[in-house]
Amino acid sequence: MSAMDQQMITLTVNGENREVSVAPRKLLVDVLREDCRLTGTHVGCEHGVCGACTVQVDGRPLRACLTYAIQMEGHEVLTIESVAANGKLSPLQQALHEEHGLQCGFCTPGIVMTFEAFLRQNPAPTEDEVREALSGNLCRCTGYQNIVKAILKAATQIRLDSGYVAS
Amino acid sequence: MSLPEFHSIGKALPRKEDYRLLTGHGCYIDDLEVPGALHACFVRSPHAHARILAFDVKLALAMPGVVAVVTGEDLAQWTTRARMAPPIEGLQPMEMDTLPIDKVRFQGDPVACVIATDRYLAEDAMEQVRVDYEPLPAVTDMWQALDPTAPCVDETLSSNLVSHQHAVHGDPKGRQRDAHRVVERTFAMHRQTHLPIETRGCIAIWDEGRSHLTFHVGTQVPHPYRTTLAGRLRLSESQVTVISQDVGGGFGQKIVLYREELTVAAMARHLKRPIRWREDRLENLLSSSQAREDFCRTRAAVDAQGRLLSLELEILEDFGAYSFYPGNYLARVVAMILTGPYKVQDYSYDVRVVLSNKVGNGPMRAPMAITSWLMEGTLDAVARELELDPLEVRRINMLHAHELPYRMATGEVLADITPRETLEAAVAAIGYQAFRTRQQEARARGVYLGLGICTVVESTTYGSQFYKAAGIAGSGHEAAWLRIEPTGVVNASVGLGATGQGYETSLAHAVAEGLGVSTDRVRIYLGHTDIAPYGMGSRGARGGTAGGGTLYLCAQEAQDKVLSIAGKLLGIAELNALRLRDSRVEQMIDGAWVATTVSLADVARIAYLDPTHLPDGVSPGLEFHKTYDPPPMTYSNSTHVCEIEVDAATGAIHFGRYVVAEDCGTVLSPVVVEGQQHGAIAMGLSGTLFEHVVYDETGQNLSGSLADYLLATADDLPHIEILSMHTPNRATPGGIKGMAEGGVMGAIGALTNAVSDALSCLGVEVNRQPLTPMYLRGLIRQAAHSSTKTAS
Repeated sequence: MSAMDQQMITLTVNGENREVSVAPRKLLVDVLREDCRLTGTHVGCEHGVCGACTVQVDGRPLRACLTYAIQMEGHEVLTIESVAANGKLSPLQQALHEEHGLQCGFCTPGIVMTFEAFLRQNPAPTEDEVREALSGNLCRCTGYQNIVKAILKAATQIRLDSGYVAS
Repeated sequence: MSLPEFHSIGKALPRKEDYRLLTGHGCYIDDLEVPGALHACFVRSPHAHARILAFDVKLALAMPGVVAVVTGEDLAQWTTRARMAPPIEGLQPMEMDTLPIDKVRFQGDPVACVIATDRYLAEDAMEQVRVDYEPLPAVTDMWQALDPTAPCVDETLSSNLVSHQHAVHGDPKGRQRDAHRVVERTFAMHRQTHLPIETRGCIAIWDEGRSHLTFHVGTQVPHPYRTTLAGRLRLSESQVTVISQDVGGGFGQKIVLYREELTVAAMARHLKRPIRWREDRLENLLSSSQAREDFCRTRAAVDAQGRLLSLELEILEDFGAYSFYPGNYLARVVAMILTGPYKVQDYSYDVRVVLSNKVGNGPMRAPMAITSWLMEGTLDAVARELELDPLEVRRINMLHAHELPYRMATGEVLADITPRETLEAAVAAIGYQAFRTRQQEARARGVYLGLGICTVVESTTYGSQFYKAAGIAGSGHEAAWLRIEPTGVVNASVGLGATGQGYETSLAHAVAEGLGVSTDRVRIYLGHTDIAPYGMGSRGARGGTAGGGTLYLCAQEAQDKVLSIAGKLLGIAELNALRLRDSRVEQMIDGAWVATTVSLADVARIAYLDPTHLPDGVSPGLEFHKTYDPPPMTYSNSTHVCEIEVDAATGAIHFGRYVVAEDCGTVLSPVVVEGQQHGAIAMGLSGTLFEHVVYDETGQNLSGSLADYLLATADDLPHIEILSMHTPNRATPGGIKGMAEGGVMGAIGALTNAVSDALSCLGVEVNRQPLTPMYLRGLIRQAAHSSTKTAS
């Protein structure tokens, strides 16, 4: 069997099982976009630097351009389409909207997926911690300042919503 | 000057475009599903300069899924050549094939196109296309390009000097003879690229039955793009529709019709099947447009107080291999506006632009980016040589308010700008004198702090008069339509092409203001040539003044008609006593506006559904169209002040505070304007510190990935403090000036001047970018070495 022969695999994407026929060499990002028709995950560099294609796999951020879809069997994949599935923006998305944390929007889904996970791990980050984590996502429009502001605002909101108490 | 009173303009409302972009429901080129679409992939030259001898496509054609492989000769049958020959003195005309036929001119030059059923298969086949080349010596630096024995990049030209302009205003040489000192400096800016996070791409859909092409592409200029695309396919403009939906950044890279896009369009028509193309990042870095790469020299004649007597400028620019724009297009603006806010009438410039075996240049956010560094770096050098305070040297030369409007030596007229105000505000905010004290104390501890000042006068909106005077094809006017629908909601459109600026929001403010509705009643349509009126698109910083201004005027005409209908309904003849506000007609009674019983929806219903009740002579419907030509040029101004520390042991730069005072007149949306300020400054800092398209001496591009071509990340950039000023331009609708490029200009100058300031006590002055640790460490080491030698 070659890397070009189609194979049936089952992916769990946004909580839904999907049977797709893919070549083993097909990237996760291409399968999400083309076979699952979830085009919110963007392709910016195809070599793992820009972060636009970031999705969550088992709750952790992952570059969908550096992963073959066939490796994802048995894992839970979450894409940007899962975040405001009920039509209501998450606190992070809402803060990005209020603080003008996006312009062209191409890098935005990757940033949302990175920081939905980050804020679960670190609900009370400092600005330096946010900037360091954000350094894995390239944005050409905003200069990052309003993204940082939005993430810190979202963190505050999430802590309020969850009754978080600093340990 | 006080601001006119606005109701909607200037309101800080969040953006209308955000919801779809935040939730993954935007629609960029690659998100469009087109059943049965084939995929294009380009075979690119591995050589910087080589003759094309032969193609062998047999192997590729036999690969699975491959539908066609075509070369420049095939495409020459279906398309016309591009010709760049505006009537500009000193500019050599150039022509370009759709794909090169005889020779390639840079590494990455596309030579053949593979069409297959799948992108993966197209790329497989691309590797099997055999091309025989005869490599030629390459031109890889601008001085080599000028050498009469250098290889000719374009053999139809008499030399690699594609453009040369020279002008003398007054007597700069004569003033040098009388001067206390003539201060000469050089400034070198490196090659960079726009790097939108969404690369280029397109989808061509040919409708054989209607003989019509629908072309999806991310473009800043939908209508001029359509005119070019139709012309080169020998189609009429009514046979081509260009659609540009969400675009992941442009910054000047998405203006021209690229050869790859024309190829995809021609192939879709030839094969009668839809074809799509998306370049990958390697292709974007190797073959999309690039920018900058200038070497400049200034010569300032000054008196003992640092007062400028005359200024000379020389620019040498490396333009790359092809003329996608006229050769003088980028550098001439630098020469035209160099002196900015400073008084000097004896001025000369000499601008030479050469071809090389690199990617062809295009305008990148602030094509005149180097301008402010040149001017402010020169003033800093004057201060250093004369042992004066650099702030005082600026003050002594800067225009006063009473000297405006001021005709610069080049004939450009500055009006309604406030450089003294931004300068004083920025240095006050940073605490200039206190910084100097801290700087001295730090130096005593071996810590090198620096402060850089850069005042920017940004050319923003270019009117038709400017273009005609400059000999540039095209126009500076803009067009808009506005339709109040029967229920009173408002649709409007303008010829701009959005690439992330937030036009759907800022332009809605202009419409809301002119008409008298709230912004949530307004929807802006952009980027579709069958829907939008024929406009000149987005380039420079014209969106606000040209786009917003035209819509504002159009909306005011719409309000006039609404009020004339409302007047009849209310039985009020004095229409000046009526206005529309939040979709409700109001009447002035005893000096106060009072709501009437008539709403915009009432008026719209009558205009569309009951036109027999319209006033005499008023036509049915509420549809409006307007064109507007801005003044020849509008200017915004700003002052950037940047504090840094240079680690003398490593050459690393650490940011302290970054303050910018900016006066860009009336702003449609302060939210959008602030975002543009941040983004522009970030682009300037990133370019000054990191970004570098590197070619080796054989013309191989060494910066083909984002691990090589470095973009500033969130932990590299400072927090930006903004002081906003709003002096309206008296010649534009609502006083709008435009902005969004000045931040790049100011950041480049402020940061570089700060580094020279930090290291001045070591006798180090930087004169080229990027400001890498290796470069700074080298200068520091060299300075230490020569001072040791002097001491011994």
